[in-house]
Amino acid sequence: MHHSFEIDGVDHRLWLSNSQQGYRLHLRDQVITPVAFTYHSESSGILTIAGESEPVRFAIEGELIHLHIRGRARILRYIDPLRTLAPANDGTRPLIARAPMPGVVVATTVSPGQSVSAGMALMTIESMKLETIIRSPQDGIVDRVHVKEGESFEHDAVLVTLSKEGR
Amino acid sequence: MHKFPFNTVLIANRGEIAARIIKTLRKLGLRSAIAYHEADALSPAVSMADLAIPISGRSPIASYLDIAQIIGAARKASAGALHPGYGLLSENAEFARAVIKAGITFIGPAPEIIDLMGDKIRARNFVQRNGFPVAPCAIEEDDPATFVSRATAVGVPLLVKPSGGGGGKGMRIVRDLNTLEAAIEQARSEARRYFGDSRLYVERYVELQRHIEVQVLGDAFGNLIHLFERECSVQRRFQKIIEETPSPALSPELRTRICEAAVGIARAAQYQNAGTVEFILSEDEFYFLEMNTRLQVEHPVTEMITGVDLIAEQVYAAAGRELALSQSDIASNGHAIELRLYAEAPERGYVPTTGNVLLLEYPDGVRIDSGIMQGQRITPAFDPMLAKIIVHAPTRAEAALKAHRAVRELVLLGCETNASLLARILADEAFLGGQFHTGYLEENPHLAAGNFATGLSAFLACAALLTGPVRASANAVPELHAALGSWRN
Amino acid sequence: MQRIGSVADVNSQAFRRNDLHNRQLAAELKERQRAARFHRPERDFERLRRQNKLFVRERVEALLDPETPFLELSTLAANKAYDGEVPGAAQVVGIGIVAGREVIVHADDASVKSGAWYPLSVKKIVRALDIAIENRLPMVHLCDCAGGFLPLQAEFFADRYHAGRILRNQSILSKMGVPQVAIVMGHCTAAGAYVPALSEYNIMVEGTGAIFLGGPPVVKAATGEQVSAEDLGGALMHTSVSGTSDYFARSEMHAIAIARDVVARFHQPAKPWIDRVAPEPPAYSASELYGIIPKDARAQFDMREIIARLVDGSRFHEYQPRYGTSLVCGFAQLYGYQVGILANNGVLFSDSSLKGAHFIQLCDKNRTPLLFLQNVTGFMVGREYERGGITKDGAKLIMAVSGASVPKFTIVCNSSHGAGTYAMSGRAFDPRFVFSWPNSQISAMGADQAAGVLTHVKARQLARVDGRLSEQELAAIREPILEQYRERSSAYYATSELWDDGILDPVDTRTALAIALSASLNAPADTPQYGVFRL
Repeated sequence: MHHSFEIDGVDHRLWLSNSQQGYRLHLRDQVITPVAFTYHSESSGILTIAGESEPVRFAIEGELIHLHIRGRARILRYIDPLRTLAPANDGTRPLIARAPMPGVVVATTVSPGQSVSAGMALMTIESMKLETIIRSPQDGIVDRVHVKEGESFEHDAVLVTLSKEGR
Repeated sequence: MHKFPFNTVLIANRGEIAARIIKTLRKLGLRSAIAYHEADALSPAVSMADLAIPISGRSPIASYLDIAQIIGAARKASAGALHPGYGLLSENAEFARAVIKAGITFIGPAPEIIDLMGDKIRARNFVQRNGFPVAPCAIEEDDPATFVSRATAVGVPLLVKPSGGGGGKGMRIVRDLNTLEAAIEQARSEARRYFGDSRLYVERYVELQRHIEVQVLGDAFGNLIHLFERECSVQRRFQKIIEETPSPALSPELRTRICEAAVGIARAAQYQNAGTVEFILSEDEFYFLEMNTRLQVEHPVTEMITGVDLIAEQVYAAAGRELALSQSDIASNGHAIELRLYAEAPERGYVPTTGNVLLLEYPDGVRIDSGIMQGQRITPAFDPMLAKIIVHAPTRAEAALKAHRAVRELVLLGCETNASLLARILADEAFLGGQFHTGYLEENPHLAAGNFATGLSAFLACAALLTGPVRASANAVPELHAALGSWRN
Repeated sequence: MQRIGSVADVNSQAFRRNDLHNRQLAAELKERQRAARFHRPERDFERLRRQNKLFVRERVEALLDPETPFLELSTLAANKAYDGEVPGAAQVVGIGIVAGREVIVHADDASVKSGAWYPLSVKKIVRALDIAIENRLPMVHLCDCAGGFLPLQAEFFADRYHAGRILRNQSILSKMGVPQVAIVMGHCTAAGAYVPALSEYNIMVEGTGAIFLGGPPVVKAATGEQVSAEDLGGALMHTSVSGTSDYFARSEMHAIAIARDVVARFHQPAKPWIDRVAPEPPAYSASELYGIIPKDARAQFDMREIIARLVDGSRFHEYQPRYGTSLVCGFAQLYGYQVGILANNGVLFSDSSLKGAHFIQLCDKNRTPLLFLQNVTGFMVGREYERGGITKDGAKLIMAVSGASVPKFTIVCNSSHGAGTYAMSGRAFDPRFVFSWPNSQISAMGADQAAGVLTHVKARQLARVDGRLSEQELAAIREPILEQYRERSSAYYATSELWDDGILDPVDTRTALAIALSASLNAPADTPQYGVFRL
């Protein structure tokens, strides 16, 4: 079972192995030998890859690895198989409308207890100067509205939870 | 002897501009006070200010828009003057009046001027009346019932704009008249929310236009000068990304015409303090777009080439001093470029990004106007602009090279930014050749998209080497088996 | 140590003839292995997909650490049994690396008869557990078995080494402190239910995994109770109600991830009792083995040529090079591990037997594992040799082989017949691993001699009735006997019956031995101790 890192929503499988010269990096379509990292401080170091040295700035935040190499910054997420292979969709959890992007709630059009059908507008959010309507992912009853008008939220935040009818 | 009739200035703003204002106030020997919301507690301006007064509200942004609280904070700080920065309440005449009524000097033009220029329709009519060029348009309030048909008569492409606002908010381009009414409705909703004013107008949209603006400076003695133009055509969704001066689009003759038009408009309005007259340029024709009665985000490029501290000039003007500079004192020296660093992902349709500033290292040898510090949280509550990188060099080519190097050296980890887009623009032939217009980024989507694969293996290698479980699984394998690799019999 | 100077002439006609022949044999082996691993009727794959199950090969690959070797054992088990319809005996067994630990993997292959246990399946699982016990290898069971194949129950149920042995071995392994992890990926019924239950850790896959002594039809027949498989013994019930299972997994991959995380908790034993130096590849290419192994099994060849293509730097410290020359003995290194090699260069005589017995004791005292390279037709027979005590000296060799406490490894390189099979550490002498080469033959007697003896016996019986038999009649009797004898002494028959742990392409031998050797070192070596040598 390979290790996996997500960059911009795309998973990249890889594996590191030991060799006499240091580590070997196995990517889907290539093997790079040797690769090494020398720490200079808790946020900087030198990456050696295929004979070239690259200064690196890094910051680690849980499963997120923030890197700055060759003038470019990227965020990679280490995918812990134990977590990602245990999908939450077991049918007993409430249905959730999540924020597709960070923003601010402009208006809420439903209130708890109200029954809604799939596709019905739940709230209007504002992000990037544009308004987006958050719609119900399925039929159900509004259980809770988590963010009030004027409040801001981050990407993937739970905005509205629904429950199945008759639960 | 004290130079000013006040010794403390309250800054009614946040982010990089608040920090920038504090720097000048220090230089002028003035105390700085800042009103801040808790969300900004860890920001540079709050730590730099001599006095920081917390304010609160329904949301962070609402706190900064709460006139009563801001004036309360100014009183608490015993501030004799108030600098509104840009955005927020900076172009709110009611606010300016309330500040003046509270006996505090408002660092900016008179409320009447703010009123005049803040109402886009009145401003437009004013400019037209004074003999300066404006684009064909249709104004809703002239006759709301015929607004749509008059708008249609202007012809496509056209731009639906709120009368009461600026900064690109609530604006929509219409290229197909069938979508006109929907665009009007959406613009109206946004205008009502942003500006509390749902009035709209439409204006002929000029394709391949360039955005040129002129910095002006006036005092209470009728002196009025310009500090040359700024070109702000590199935009995404009406949001400026890169500004520079001088504009590569202007011939000396055209530069003189446009700068003199700006001075003429400001003079007609008896403008005092710093202001900016914005124009749309198409080939060698230009139209008045609007006048901003405040400091602009991109003011540093003007400061770099003229050596004038615009904020100091604002403070002097507000203090009733006569402008020490005449037009002939203003010379343009070299070329300056400003890059706006935004918390957004151009690669994913410019979605705003958030995160903690885990590591922040600015490049040497360039000017940085920063609104963030390491450890600060970037939230979606505010405008996504984090900092500005300003470079100054003898020529445009050298400035572009310097800017490119600086943006690649800049390290900001913890939150995605548009830095790599900036780097790509600074290496793009069209930009380097000065051949661009406000639709440049939309016409060149590859600039925003970037090349995903570039350097990917170095990032993956680095991430792998920095991730404990990945190293651990390599180190756990016995030497023999690691040497044998994926052998199968 | 001296480098062996090979005298093989790679341009000679004999070499090229052998090369062609042995490459064909290797290609045939690879093809048979590939078929046994992957050839299934499409409907079986279709059924797995419908059941939301991965193919056993995908399961094993996901379990193993990427970029690490997997030594698969007995791939061609049952290839000569059950009309060839139970490839691999419906089991995958091998030694691999999981979370950096050397483990033995046992996986039921549900694409074959729904993973039902045949007699040879049971033999293969018992052998896998024996390997785990002998080498103290942690074990991972991937359970997906429909139960025993009832029509053949008499051949796998009641006897000492039948299915009960699986459970007994699991318990012994546990007693020894060697952990097992089982993933329940299908139904584990009756005796199969105990495989996860007797494992230190077990994981159940939601939806497909179930454990029960009697499945729903059995329950219905016994008590009339109607119950679904999920309700009767599903993952949710066993992980939350009965406590029979430890971890609830949402998918097979999730279960495998949990299993890998469990194995990562295991103590990694040090291997302190053996020295290891930096490995070195042989000076001669392994592919030259194809030209050295004779096309004609009866042709003699120098085993040093084989050794030169197996050991580090082709270096060999030969012991008693001038005495008992039909048994080559000496020290060499294999991937940095020192081994003592005993290789046949002809029939065993008294002197070669004495030399072998002595050398085994030297290695045992020196904690040096033993490698037997078999090419032996037996011990020398005849009046002179009996008088010289060949049986007595052979007994010394057998006593030494039986008593050695260091790990033993046996490769059937060519012929393996008669008491030579035994004295050269045959299967009965518990070498840790036995591998065969595709050209090899193993039987009590060589095929021609045996056919001669059998034909002679048959001819005498017939002659009593009809008088003398013609040459034609003799040939008619002889040919089928010879044919059946050859068939039953082939490497494929041996491996089908699990007399070995698999057939190796000769070029894979060095690596396979390295993996086996490393695995064997997980168990501590006992103090050398022998029975009574007849002096």
